[in-house]
Amino acid sequence: MLKQDETEERLRRLMIRSLEGDSGAHRELLGVLGRFLRGYFARRIGTGTAEVEDLVQESLLAVHLKRDTYDRSLPFTPWAYALARYKLIDHLRRRHRSTQVPLDDAGDLFAAEDAEEGALRTDLDRLLQRLPDRQRSLIEDVKLQGLSVEEAAKKRGVTAVSARVMLHRSLKWLNQALRDENG
Amino acid sequence: MRTADLIELLARDARATPSGVANRRLLAALVAGGLITLAIVVMGLRCQALLAAAQQSWFWMKAAYTGLLTIGGVIMVRRLSMPGARLGAAPLAAALVILAMLALAAGQILSAAPAARMALWLGHTWKVCSPLILLLAVPIYGCLVAAIRRLAPTRLALTGAAAGFAAGALAATLYGLHCPEQAAVFVVTWYTLGIAAATGLGALIGRRLLRW
Repeated sequence: MLKQDETEERLRRLMIRSLEGDSGAHRELLGVLGRFLRGYFARRIGTGTAEVEDLVQESLLAVHLKRDTYDRSLPFTPWAYALARYKLIDHLRRRHRSTQVPLDDAGDLFAAEDAEEGALRTDLDRLLQRLPDRQRSLIEDVKLQGLSVEEAAKKRGVTAVSARVMLHRSLKWLNQALRDENG
Repeated sequence: MRTADLIELLARDARATPSGVANRRLLAALVAGGLITLAIVVMGLRCQALLAAAQQSWFWMKAAYTGLLTIGGVIMVRRLSMPGARLGAAPLAAALVILAMLALAAGQILSAAPAARMALWLGHTWKVCSPLILLLAVPIYGCLVAAIRRLAPTRLALTGAAAGFAAGALAATLYGLHCPEQAAVFVVTWYTLGIAAATGLGALIGRRLLRW
């Protein structure tokens, strides 16, 4: 089997499990994607550019928030590639640079992994400071203390459902704030 | 925040995600926009005598033409709203529908007396037909754009064009409830022109409106 086919098989399986609500599969998928995205953006806008890691984070948020646009009957890697390429074009456009990004196939994104996290221009933690207290403290419980959403909900005296809604809303807000900040 | 921490945070937000979200959102947008446009047609323009019209083949000829274009447009919109999906055969199918209509119109023109041809082509309403279809497409286009933005279009101008095409074709279908014109050559000219205008404007506006 070709390497690209293997990647496709593996990621598609992870994506389907993630869509079924398997958070372990979701974590693993985002981890692998993050490494490929880093390699892709570095090749496109230059290794060591501070924007690379920001773009990785923006794209991971997009993969997460837009995952319901993945059609389970289609291959996964073209979906991820189209999304990453869109994020790159959107980024370049907002910086008034040339938006000529060659239209390649998914192999362009899945060429090489890069596990080394780069420097960030925009710190998400700083953006999170702008959230209302309730939402921010929920995120801090989950992120810093590693609580599950249910545990954090209990601690803050809200229902698990409303904690889930709050977390999801905060991530959507974060996505928008990050895009505005980098624009 | 390190990327690894972000991934951890996102993993906590993983939930079972239903499939078919795109279909539901786009359908809801079509129904909402279609109802607004229908209300404008019924209250603003007034329907023709539908019971009588529904017994005429020209009424169904028009409905079939714009209805098929609507289906083609919606399929294109749906595909373009999902990253990585191919456009497939929908544009070709829409082109074939237009070609078939052109053939029908040519047949009508050729079999008509030369002196009557101009009247067939211009009907009584050629001046208002295309602009009205373009105007009636606006509510549908607006609803579609709102739905598409919540999905993930990656080719914005093309997606905007498809949304304009679908909106124009649905608007033309609803306009058919009002429009008493009967000639295929009228429909293939002025209806198609209205839909084409919606497509072009849809592409132009969509490039900006559809960013996410």
